[in-house]
Amino acid sequence: MAKNLSGDMQVASANRLSDGAVVFLDDFGQWTRRLDRAALARDKRTAEILLARARAEAASVVDPFLVAVTESGDGVLEPLSLREKIRASGLTFAAIAAEAVRYA
Amino acid sequence: MEIPSEQPIDQGPMLVLDNAEDVTRLGDRLAGVKLIVLNFPKFTDGRAYSQARLLRERMGYTGELRAAGQVYIDQIPFMLRCGFDSFASAQKGFAEALAKARTLFSVVYQPTGDGRTTVNQLRLQHRRSAAA
Amino acid sequence: MPDTHFYRYDDYDRALVGERVAQFRDQVRRRLAGELTEEQFKPLRLTNGLYLQLHAYMLRIAIPYGTLSSRQLRQLAAIARKYDRGYGHFTTRQNLQLHWIRLEDAPDAIAMLAEVDMHSIQTSGNCVRNTTADHFAGAAIDEIEDPRVWCEIVRQWSTLHPEFSFLPRKFKIAITGSPNDRAAVRVHDIGLRLWKNACDEVGFEVIVGGGLGRTPMIGKTIREFLPKDELLAYLEATLRVYNRYGRRDNLFKARIKILVHEIGAERMREEVEAEYAAMRDSALKLSPETVEAIARQFAPPVLRPRRTRVPEVEAMKLENRAFALWLKSNVAPHRVPGHAIVTASLKPAGAPPGDASSAQMEGVADIADAWSHGEIRVSHEQNLVLPHVAIESLPEVYRALEKLGFAEANVGKITDIIACPGLDYCALANARSIPVAQRISNHFAELARQHDIGDLKIKISGCINACGHHHVGHIGILGVDKNGVELYQLSLGGDVDFGKTALGTILGPAVESDKVVEAVEAMVATYLGARRPGERFVDTYRRIGAQPFKERVYGNS
Repeated sequence: MAKNLSGDMQVASANRLSDGAVVFLDDFGQWTRRLDRAALARDKRTAEILLARARAEAASVVDPFLVAVTESGDGVLEPLSLREKIRASGLTFAAIAAEAVRYA
Repeated sequence: MEIPSEQPIDQGPMLVLDNAEDVTRLGDRLAGVKLIVLNFPKFTDGRAYSQARLLRERMGYTGELRAAGQVYIDQIPFMLRCGFDSFASAQKGFAEALAKARTLFSVVYQPTGDGRTTVNQLRLQHRRSAAA
Repeated sequence: MPDTHFYRYDDYDRALVGERVAQFRDQVRRRLAGELTEEQFKPLRLTNGLYLQLHAYMLRIAIPYGTLSSRQLRQLAAIARKYDRGYGHFTTRQNLQLHWIRLEDAPDAIAMLAEVDMHSIQTSGNCVRNTTADHFAGAAIDEIEDPRVWCEIVRQWSTLHPEFSFLPRKFKIAITGSPNDRAAVRVHDIGLRLWKNACDEVGFEVIVGGGLGRTPMIGKTIREFLPKDELLAYLEATLRVYNRYGRRDNLFKARIKILVHEIGAERMREEVEAEYAAMRDSALKLSPETVEAIARQFAPPVLRPRRTRVPEVEAMKLENRAFALWLKSNVAPHRVPGHAIVTASLKPAGAPPGDASSAQMEGVADIADAWSHGEIRVSHEQNLVLPHVAIESLPEVYRALEKLGFAEANVGKITDIIACPGLDYCALANARSIPVAQRISNHFAELARQHDIGDLKIKISGCINACGHHHVGHIGILGVDKNGVELYQLSLGGDVDFGKTALGTILGPAVESDKVVEAVEAMVATYLGARRPGERFVDTYRRIGAQPFKERVYGNS
């Protein structure tokens, strides 16, 4: 279940059906791995439209939902919640590598 | 609850039961019944599986036992084993899946009223014939 | 392939698992083709152990009764390398989780499992899950009877059970064959304890309605003594009562523990006994031949008594302090003199608890082949166990484990932390678990100090579902989310030892992530200052109560 913190700016996200990868809906209705290419809704009404668009494009993804984001001065998007930060950028610790036999 | 019109009811009394109903208390109400319809309000609500087995294995019901509600392809093997023998499902491909469902799993572990020989029974037969 | 000393599939088992792979392959195909909606597909993939988590699909593989052959462990390593990122996470339920699986690959991955007689059937979903057992089964010195025989019988009975595949909620069974319960039977939906009655017969105590999660409860005994051959009839009766009367209106109240709590243990017993009366002496009754045929396969390896005092071991003990500590914490007595049970710690300092790389899994498989009759166990404390090691081989086993990073002398100590995957992976989590475990582990890494602190179980869960068993940790840590900030609630005094099973008590307000280590340090200091000779952390807590701990943890803030 998505836990969105309140915020005006939203992007639409989902997990890709074929491999579960985190994807975002871009301005062309395509799903992309890159948050920086996500279509950005700047107010509540546009966010509703964005979610409706995401649901209409949901054949190749699972359960689209809105993610609240912030935009830094130079236009870099970052999710507000820790959960979504982790979804967007991966584990917060170093996982062991396949051939590793000892942790550093 | 509605029975889909393409599945006409045979002549004779029928019962449509809620899945919370205690079928072991039906008693006389079962007399002469030709069709019992059990309900799956959601396919994840599995109470009717227990109802079906109790009707077949404890109450000795031998008439038609129909699954209605959310009845999908992937439940068929379980339903057959619990004693259902008719299905009201609108899912595409259901009839084809039903035809194949009896052979989807060639072995079963649990003894139920469907009469299939369980793995343990087969193993026992095998051991006894090997010992003989 | 070396001889195995546990159940091997026959053609029937193999046929069923193969057919299940084919069925799942077809289900995945239908989902990818858009013939199944996610709502329809989700329960199907879940009953094959496939979850959708934050970053990818996760495949949960059952390791029945926690027992693996070296061949199986190598295959798990191979699957992780081929279809995942080359590592896996051993869980508290004796399962292995691969966290980076692609849906498209999942049928091939489970087909590879089937090649070594394994599966992922019913590792999720509202059905009977993998039945767990004492990880020392078949080797423990205090064992009455090997519980795995009965776990295997339950495994077969529960696999694709037609009546119990859509229960109100998941259902977990654990079996122990020892008076020192290492399977936590009082905190399972059904716990079974083998014991010997006054007439010298062995039967089951049946405990129902235990569990952790949102509403932790200790199970109630509804039958003191059940003849073993009636096990399946009694289980079927219990499950039927649950399937019919368990709550389905509220997900959080759907476990059997809530039913037992609401109607009372006595009424539960009456319902189950009434159902059982109609089922006993039915086709569910186990014939002696059936039980015997399975039991035979669990015949332990033939171990000849050997020297218990080995000069090389004694010499190494004097030279190598870490080895001496390892002997104390990671080596347990075996029922055959001159042998031992070795625990390989999957908790090296600073590592994610329970994780192993493919290379490490292969390394453990090699060690098992060389020194433990090709057998490995997975413990519910997220470690691997080598159940049959000769004492004279201990130095070699130690050195081999050391190379893998699995020779940390910390089993049962403060850094032998249980932790769920937490918010780094899990879609249900509220807070991270692994990074917290890593910081505690690094802070207390010094072995001599760990051994001075003694037995202390820290258990961390990233949410109320309690996969990290925080309720029964001597120190329990529960991650919560408060307005977007991770906070950690501390509890004290939980225990899973049989006869002492207890749920921890919350100490006070939740603390911030970077204060957790400090708080644990304060609790340890309180214990060290107050302990009497021979007292473990939890004993001191029971004697002096929470107040001194509370003052020390919160005193200055």
